[in-house]
Amino acid sequence: MTSLALPLLRRALPGQLTRLTGVLATVVLILAAMPIITMIIMSFGASDTLAFPPPSYGLQWYRAAWHTFMSPDASDVLSMGQALGTSLMVALATMLIAAAVAIPAAYALNRFDFPGKGLVEQFIALPMVYPLVMLGISLLLVFNYLPLELGIFRLVIAHVILALPFAVKNCSASIAGIGPEFEEAAYLMGARPLRAMFDVVLPLMRPGILAGMLFAFIVSFNEFTVTFFLYDVDTMTLPVWLYSRTVSSLDPTVFSFAVFIVLIDFGLIWLLEKLVGDDGVAL
Amino acid sequence: MSNQLVIENVSKQFGAVQVVKHVNLSIPEGKLVCFLGPSGCGKTTLLRMIAGLETPTSGRLTMDGKDLTNVAACERDFGMVFQSLALFPHMTVAGNIAYPLRLRKVNQQSQSKRVDELLQLIQLPHMSNRPVAQLSGGQRQRVAIARALASAPKLLLLDEPLSALDAKLREAMQVEIRLLQQRLGITTIMVTHDQREAMTMADVIVVMEQGRIAQIGSPLEVYRDPVNEFVADFIGLGNILPAVPSGDQRVRLAGGQQIDISSARKISDGQEIRLLIRPEDVCLKISAAVGHDDLHSSIGNNSVPGQVSFIRDVGSSLEATINCSGFSLTVATSPREVPGLTIGTQVLATLPPHACKLIDASPGRLAA
Repeated sequence: MTSLALPLLRRALPGQLTRLTGVLATVVLILAAMPIITMIIMSFGASDTLAFPPPSYGLQWYRAAWHTFMSPDASDVLSMGQALGTSLMVALATMLIAAAVAIPAAYALNRFDFPGKGLVEQFIALPMVYPLVMLGISLLLVFNYLPLELGIFRLVIAHVILALPFAVKNCSASIAGIGPEFEEAAYLMGARPLRAMFDVVLPLMRPGILAGMLFAFIVSFNEFTVTFFLYDVDTMTLPVWLYSRTVSSLDPTVFSFAVFIVLIDFGLIWLLEKLVGDDGVAL
Repeated sequence: MSNQLVIENVSKQFGAVQVVKHVNLSIPEGKLVCFLGPSGCGKTTLLRMIAGLETPTSGRLTMDGKDLTNVAACERDFGMVFQSLALFPHMTVAGNIAYPLRLRKVNQQSQSKRVDELLQLIQLPHMSNRPVAQLSGGQRQRVAIARALASAPKLLLLDEPLSALDAKLREAMQVEIRLLQQRLGITTIMVTHDQREAMTMADVIVVMEQGRIAQIGSPLEVYRDPVNEFVADFIGLGNILPAVPSGDQRVRLAGGQQIDISSARKISDGQEIRLLIRPEDVCLKISAAVGHDDLHSSIGNNSVPGQVSFIRDVGSSLEATINCSGFSLTVATSPREVPGLTIGTQVLATLPPHACKLIDASPGRLAA
């Protein structure tokens, strides 16, 4: 790509360059949006086959999806409603626990120097590069070895591990922008350290904390690979449920459900942009 | 006059580096004391130890006789203005100023009364509901001072508070803060590296060098009678000339010129010393304007001939660099005193004996 594009770019005049970058941007955008567009088109299809593009259009899969959602039949191991409930509960718990861990962690990593600090930072970032399948298997082994039944917290623990890098990074970015003099000013005015934390540090960290929490929620809500190793009948999440419906025969209702999930994700990302604005979100 | 804050043999070490070395100092009540020195001289660390933001490695601090060394910053009841001001951006002007009162559980009514009072004091009435982000540099500065004063602290600490302002506003704020300090009579410690700022504002200047106090004195004392070459060089413009004693009340300069001095200091023969003369103390005459015989007689009379090599004429004052044999001399005078002075003019610079000070050469420093 570069070997081809570079001479092209070099020969291009400024006007041509804008056009070229415009074309490249469009191509990238189409590639990124393609799965979503395909999914949306398929969800409006009106044939029983999975031919693309669908020969005719209609709302039959939405009707079927609505039917499945309202009155699950006996062939379903679990209703979609239940899976959605589990997903939301896991995502919410992940979000809260990740924030509770990430805020003090980010504070300590930014404000204090302690032996092994670099190691801690590496460990927090590890889940971003760790093969997810291996993580799923490792956690499964550990959880089965434990003598207690964790239930839904099997998933929450796994999701917190996966969400933590995002939460800590966002909190760190916001605290790095707050000099220690804000706390020191509060101390001088008579605030004890904990009071200064709540009055000054946390309010100033707010955008980073909220961004981190939303990231944690989104990561958990969409997580599939690790969850696949850890779920059981009572703790099936939405992505796993969707997958379960495609294993034996691909049921086009999943496209309708997927559109619904993507809408939720879009809503969350919109909220994220709103909350963080131009300050930028650390990824 | 009682000594409010007393610093006894205080040292501070960061790792292997000793930043503050055995400092002894009393801060007189109601005065403005200025810690002055180049960056890295330990002045900010000393201020932070007074504030309670750093703990001394050794030594102790007392306030009215009570040991302060291990009292937490939040219990010292000092006001502080930080270099970055550290105004809380998520609070309004009133919110910032009222914060120390809120912490002291002052009731709402008294809080807003005190805030209004302080806004009057800093000449920013009707600003109480503004977000801090909407204020100009000078306004932020005043709000930070008002916030530091809100709880009527025993001591006001200023850590280079004016460094973010442009030159003109900074000079205006120097005067304003000084007037406010004198009106309130609040004991104040200020840290700065700007000797003009220190001389404008301080009652007492504490010059610091490499973690030690080099000299304590009033601005004029420090300017007129610096204890060593470092202080002389740091405070104001000065001609610091290498000199060798050559008899009673007499020294020889680098070009062999003999200069009479009137100094009470005893110096042993052959000891290397420095002669300090401030630019405004040197008398300048254009050689052509002096008669030939007068010229010869005056050369013996503490006058050295030289040639102008640089002129900075800013209208109200004129500064010239004179190349003499063996050294160069900076002279400050009024443009009216030496009409027609240009680069290359032959001049006669007179060093009045009473204006010549002898100071120790700082070890390891090159002669200016």
